Amino acid sequence: MLAIGFGSEGGVVVAGRFDAAQCPAAQAFLDKVEGTVTLDCSGLEYISSAGLGVLLKTQKRLLAKSGKLRLAGVNRHILDIFQYSGFDQIFEIEPAR
Amino acid sequence: MSARHNQRGLSAQDLEAILAVTSKLAAPFDLRTMLTEVMSAAKQVLGAEGGSVWLYDAVTDELLLEVATGIEPIRVPAGTGLVGACARNRRVINVPDCYSDPRFNPEVDRRSGFRTRCMLTLPLVDHKDVLVGVMQVLNKTGGVFDRDDEDLAIALAAQCAVALQRVKMTEALIEGEKLRQELEMARIVQQSTLPSSMPEVAGYDVFGTFQPAGLTGGDTFDLANLEQGLLVVLADATGHGIAPALSVTQMQAMLRIAFRLGASLETAFTQVNNQLAATLPPDRFITAFIGLLDAPQHRLRFHSGGQGPILHYRAATGECVRHKPTSFPLAAMPVTTLRPAVTIELAPGDLVLLLSDGIYEYRSADGDEFGEGRVSEMARRHHGLPMQEFSAHLLAEVKAFARGAPQEDDMTVVLLKREAGRAREHRMIPRQIGQISAIFDFTAEFFGLHAIDRRLLGTVDLALEELFTNMVKYSPETEAAVRIDLVAVDGGIEVSLTDTGVEPFDVTRAPEVDINAPIDQRRPGGLGLHLVRRLVDHIGYEYEKESRQSRITFRKTIAGPPAGAH
Repeated sequence: MLAIGFGSEGGVVVAGRFDAAQCPAAQAFLDKVEGTVTLDCSGLEYISSAGLGVLLKTQKRLLAKSGKLRLAGVNRHILDIFQYSGFDQIFEIEPAR
Repeated sequence: MSARHNQRGLSAQDLEAILAVTSKLAAPFDLRTMLTEVMSAAKQVLGAEGGSVWLYDAVTDELLLEVATGIEPIRVPAGTGLVGACARNRRVINVPDCYSDPRFNPEVDRRSGFRTRCMLTLPLVDHKDVLVGVMQVLNKTGGVFDRDDEDLAIALAAQCAVALQRVKMTEALIEGEKLRQELEMARIVQQSTLPSSMPEVAGYDVFGTFQPAGLTGGDTFDLANLEQGLLVVLADATGHGIAPALSVTQMQAMLRIAFRLGASLETAFTQVNNQLAATLPPDRFITAFIGLLDAPQHRLRFHSGGQGPILHYRAATGECVRHKPTSFPLAAMPVTTLRPAVTIELAPGDLVLLLSDGIYEYRSADGDEFGEGRVSEMARRHHGLPMQEFSAHLLAEVKAFARGAPQEDDMTVVLLKREAGRAREHRMIPRQIGQISAIFDFTAEFFGLHAIDRRLLGTVDLALEELFTNMVKYSPETEAAVRIDLVAVDGGIEVSLTDTGVEPFDVTRAPEVDINAPIDQRRPGGLGLHLVRRLVDHIGYEYEKESRQSRITFRKTIAGPPAGAH
């Protein structure tokens, strides 16, 4: 399951498994965010290309309005997926410490 | 030359006598013969009627006079009497009339019936300046001992001291050798009771090994197929030397007999404990794990008298569960009430690790202990290995950890693994995106049950999701469920997805995506297959025209690409 919502500091927190079945709900949520948004991924365990697609669509929309999506707390496994898909060139990523 | 030599000096005859004695003393006598030889040499060279040699016992700071075989030697504290004074000062004492010297002890005369007139008392000091004893020479034939006799006696005493010291050292060596041989024998007895080969247990890999420390320690183990099941024992008797080795041997024999006579685990544990409590010395005890494995039911029931920790590596979680002993060590006291035995349920790929404290408490050169954490970590990393290899690996790890620090205690390893088997399972997954979670449940369970490295799970899930969603999206004309097969292979897993009633689509030939394209040219399509191809070891595609069946098979092992394997 995937949990997505606003965090305490105005950013967006995403946790759990971002698979194809979770995309509609995640997309609906991200369609509402504006400006420069930090996505706290420290609880994100898994992401597939469908999840990447949701993030890509959101990034395109925000960039068009001079905003952007930043990713923070990205674990090693998720970072690998971003690198192997070239998405590390599309998002500003802050790996988990 | 000092003035006193003018009286007589050491004559050629004297020298010859001393040299003759010296060459005689070089013979390999035992201590008693050597004492007699030394005495007769002294009597001969000095023309004395009698004499005695007192040996110095540095441990008690006493002088000992062997009177005769079988009689306790006479002991005199160094410092008292003529011998004592001589030992302290290391000087020759020449007493021409003994009965007028207050230091003289007439008791020895009274016992032997010998009348001592005059006496020379000489320290026996070897070439390393170690006091070996004191020599007394009695009653110079036809007079008293003069200065020349003193000089002669000193020369002789030096030779005697060296000869005596040599014999004492030789005897100490022989004693040590005897002790070593006895310990060696105890070791052979101890080791002869160990299983000569590992018992065969269907569905299990069992292994035990024993690495003795030099001359100490009292470990044992047992693995034997009995009517009650597989007997699993690991025991460690307290203390060093022969006694613990024999205690564990005794315990092991008692256990075997108890079980052969049909005893239950509880009865055997209680009775053997009570018997040992009655017979072992009060300061001795044995920590022991005694278990019976019911292999068909995959249950290991055990009692442990102070032996622990008992580690149960669970393949499903990748963690070690730690069990404590159920009772105090064997022989500590009689058991009156026994807590219930503990049962460990073994799932496929589970491991039970029993290790003696010689491993857990092995100290490195820095003084750190090997400890439980390292053992748990090894179980996590190497549970897939055959148990014999696991054991070798573990002992090698201990050795590497020690960094040259010597082994101070026996090390014993007993390992039990329920085979994970080359398991194969399949599920039919309805073609709906919402079914992805059912796939994830299936893989997680399969990984757990068959002890597959969990670091591979993320990649396997990703590949399955990408391939499954592709099938669902691009073949809308069929409603047939997708069959997913999972097969455990060496170091990982092989997965296949079978889709029936569809047109061919070879995923291995799908066009590459440009992952470096700028964002406005990026589309999510094709990215999934790109990731799959990048992350798995191997992927293959087959199409069967008659049944219109597409089958994609991929493999992911720890030997494959490292990406995503975290």
